[in-house]
Amino acid sequence: MDAFEYASPSTVKEAISLLGSDWEDASVFGGGTDLISLLKDDIVDTKRLVNIKKVGALHAIRNENGALRIGAAVTLHQLLSASDVRKEYPAIADAAERIGSPQIHNMATVGGWLCQRPRCWYYRNGFGLLALDKNGNSLVTQGDNRYHAIFGNSGPAKFVSPSSLGPALVALDGKIHIEGPRGARDVAADQFFVIPQKQGEREHALAPNEIVTEITIPAASRGMRNAMYEVRQKEGLEWPFALASVALRMRGNTVENARIVLGQVAPKPWLADEASKWLEGKTINEENAAKAGDAAAQGATPLSRNGYKVQLVRVSVKRALLAALRESTNAAKGGA
Amino acid sequence: METSLGSQDLGTGTRTVIAIVTAETLGLPVEAVKVNIGDNKYPPAGASGGSTTVSGVSTSTRRAATEALNSLIAKVAPSLGAPADQLEAWDSKIQVKGNPAKSIPWKQACAKMGASSITGTGKTSNDLMSSGVGGVQMSEVEVDTETGVVKIVKHVSVQDCGLVIDVRTAESQVYGAAIMGITYALFEEKIMDQPTGRCLNANMEFYKLAGIGDIGEIIPHMMTGPGYDERGTIGLGEPPVISPGAAISNAVANAIGVRVPELPLTPDRVLAALGKGGVA
Repeated sequence: MDAFEYASPSTVKEAISLLGSDWEDASVFGGGTDLISLLKDDIVDTKRLVNIKKVGALHAIRNENGALRIGAAVTLHQLLSASDVRKEYPAIADAAERIGSPQIHNMATVGGWLCQRPRCWYYRNGFGLLALDKNGNSLVTQGDNRYHAIFGNSGPAKFVSPSSLGPALVALDGKIHIEGPRGARDVAADQFFVIPQKQGEREHALAPNEIVTEITIPAASRGMRNAMYEVRQKEGLEWPFALASVALRMRGNTVENARIVLGQVAPKPWLADEASKWLEGKTINEENAAKAGDAAAQGATPLSRNGYKVQLVRVSVKRALLAALRESTNAAKGGA
Repeated sequence: METSLGSQDLGTGTRTVIAIVTAETLGLPVEAVKVNIGDNKYPPAGASGGSTTVSGVSTSTRRAATEALNSLIAKVAPSLGAPADQLEAWDSKIQVKGNPAKSIPWKQACAKMGASSITGTGKTSNDLMSSGVGGVQMSEVEVDTETGVVKIVKHVSVQDCGLVIDVRTAESQVYGAAIMGITYALFEEKIMDQPTGRCLNANMEFYKLAGIGDIGEIIPHMMTGPGYDERGTIGLGEPPVISPGAAISNAVANAIGVRVPELPLTPDRVLAALGKGGVA
């Protein structure tokens, strides 16, 4: 780790002014649960750390006319403590809960949960985000890709998007509020995540001098039955092998509209559109949930060692849908 | 009462074991013994490895304490009017064997030493072993046949290590062995990469270790009593690590009707085995 400057601004404007036009100029420092290890491992070099935890405006979590607005510096613990979240958005709450570490819950921020860098072991071993050898060939394709992408992997990016918040936000049609020197903009969660096509490109829509200030779940998504399911071996502190996040608008027992989003299987949260469309007009039961899972797994392009993830996609989708049905049943009974 | 020995306690209970052996030999409560370890100014001891520590320190401590006790008894014998070989240390007293009425309390006995102290030394002989122990392990597992995820429900380790000095720390060793055994059966794997020659998972997130939620209920059972005790102290740390992989993979094979031929039993391998047959 090289020496770096440390800045702790108190306003968003000041924070933005401390960022630079190149990624190497400055790094946004939230909980530091990922960034510190990236710095220590010399994967990220930065001239300046910009601590955003002292920016008061980034700590709010509030319900505004039915929309849930979460500040980027809200910790996972604060998020889980907000009464609305567990009740209305189990897809988000369960994703946070399943991280399973009180230390991470207390330190990690929502913004960091979204913007954390991929865990691809070639990237983390210093071979770059795209992990290309000197001839431009993918090390991931040639090497051990058991945890890599099975969708969206036709380009050079084979890593998987690490955020378990990402799929839930995409399913709930969340918006990411971004601020930079040229003002503020809202980006749909699905557009926030980007599959890089060449060296130097990032896996999200941020420019080096922009920060995520807030995440919004629109009022229109309130009342959607939502849930997530992730496949993992360990109870805590393990990256899921695959996960599915689902949000359903129901009319009685029938699915009016579905959004099924996969995680840990593509360089971005992966919309399973075919499966979502197939489910519309159907009721959720074991058989239909399994068929939706099969539809979601269609079109997968596994690498040499990650074919098993196709099956994990089927199961994740099926179980997430059945979990959403239980949420729905609980709500009908007046429970939470 | 001090026992000094250049051994070390890695958290396995070496200090406790030395105190117990000294106290029992001298007929004193454990609190009366001060144990000095972890410094090379003390008499030499073996390294903590190869499951030899407890058998090493117990024997030497027992012999040293016996030698010191014999010196003390020799000083006390005239005042009890009995030959030294008829005396014993019992319940913080030196007494005529089996006769607490003819005794002298420990402190008064020590006063007979005058200003000088008594030192005894003992050495461990080579006939004591770190091998020759036995054990049986049984595992109950749950296999999710859709995801290939294996969970430990219960793991029983029945273990012999000859004479158990302290059941609690011995069981603790067996717990540790079971946890590490479950870890290598389900998670632990060093992943070397062909194209780069690098270890891809030289970290704690992809070199996976079991956490407290992953180990199920572990039940250690130490074999003690006739047939075990008279064999002396034998090493314990490593032997119970040997069986979990076999016990757990046998349990998985029993559950799903097909054998997963490679450890660790990760979802990809379990699903691949299920693809060739079994219940799913």
